[in-house]
Amino acid sequence: MSITFHLPTALRRYSGGLADLPVSAATVRAALLELEKSQPALYRNLCDETGALRRHLNVFVNSDHMRDRSGLDTPLSDGDVLTILAAVSGG
Amino acid sequence: MPQKVILTIGTKKGLFVAQSSKSRGKFDLRGPFGQGIPVYASLVDTRGKKPVIYAGSCNPFFGMKVLRSNDLGKTFAETKSAPAFPKEDGRALANIWSLEPDGDADLLAGVEPASLFRSRDGGDSWEMVPGISNHEHARKWQPGAGGLCLHTILRDGEHLHLGISTGGHYLSEDGGKTFAPSNKGIGVGFAPDAYPEWGQCVHKIAGHPDVPGRLYIQNHGGFPDRPGIGVVRSDDHGHTWRSIAGGLPSDFGFPIVVHPHDPDTIYVVPLEPATRTCPGGKPAVWRSENGGGSWKKLAKGFPKEETFFTVLRDAMDIDSFKSPALYFGTTTGQLWMGKDGGEKWSCLFEALPPINNVKVAVV
Repeated sequence: MSITFHLPTALRRYSGGLADLPVSAATVRAALLELEKSQPALYRNLCDETGALRRHLNVFVNSDHMRDRSGLDTPLSDGDVLTILAAVSGG
Repeated sequence: MPQKVILTIGTKKGLFVAQSSKSRGKFDLRGPFGQGIPVYASLVDTRGKKPVIYAGSCNPFFGMKVLRSNDLGKTFAETKSAPAFPKEDGRALANIWSLEPDGDADLLAGVEPASLFRSRDGGDSWEMVPGISNHEHARKWQPGAGGLCLHTILRDGEHLHLGISTGGHYLSEDGGKTFAPSNKGIGVGFAPDAYPEWGQCVHKIAGHPDVPGRLYIQNHGGFPDRPGIGVVRSDDHGHTWRSIAGGLPSDFGFPIVVHPHDPDTIYVVPLEPATRTCPGGKPAVWRSENGGGSWKKLAKGFPKEETFFTVLRDAMDIDSFKSPALYFGTTTGQLWMGKDGGEKWSCLFEALPPINNVKVAVV
């Protein structure tokens, strides 16, 4: 499946300035693993050393939060957009 | 070139750098760098031809970064990588609690969960130091309120002393290859056994190069049933420890600092154990000039009442001038300087973000 990662501004310094990165993957998990290979510096911002998605990041498959689908196992279709957004938190 | 005093100030909202002439009159402030991201560790590395400033930037969204400045803190950039556990290890880096120079050019980073990392290239790549990071106790240590942190790295030749909260004092006598707990005489107030082999909540360890076998610890004191365990001293490279807390208003505190030219002169900031603020709302630094035999209150220039400072473990340092100044930051954002070895205090900055870390260097 050909899908696209859409990155927040804060992460574009790790993608050569690109907001959108095309990836071929069948699930969210596979898409992240593809990033680990092709964009390791970017990947380290998304996942920790154990491979877990960082706690304060949200991944949307098109307009659905992945937790409302099947999490990292959410299947992807051609043309899907994975949007990475930082959670609302802080103080 | 005229000497400059450089302060690095790690706060909840990023790293600030303050600069002054050697007179230490007015400090100019720049930052925050790593905006909005907490900094718990910083280092002004003066070993090379040009000083290099490092800071750990604890990004809750995107993970840990190491920031580096080659222009005395005018600009910072991320190093190529931060410490990271091997994928198969199962642990994930949560914070950087200490950054120290080692040897001619290496850097050491003490991290959370308590482990040690080494960089041989100025912070661009890191390798885990297995002797402590994979110690048989490493998966048994428990976090204190600040997290399970390796917060102190102190080298004396082949002796490498590490402070872990809560793990205690760990000593290597082979340069850092292997480590053993070395806590005989360091007490705890939170377990039935007052003097366990390991598991102490050591807050900070300090030493002086002129007397390499002597070390001082600000330990987690403040337990009425176990008085005096909070400030201790060793004269045998950390094999045994004895209390030097007598005469202090509280044996609870976080930082402990040694005078740059007198190993008998040490400084602590006693805090009430319940509130972890200045006893009675009256700030004071306490100084011993005889290695902990007796203590004197230093409070000239501080507010006399209604002032509840908390000074964290890495938030006090001392410069290297003949008549040195102490510096400390508070969790309520004040940065104080105590000239003449703490005899006279003045507030350099009144309203920074909460301060975790203060380091000073004369460059």
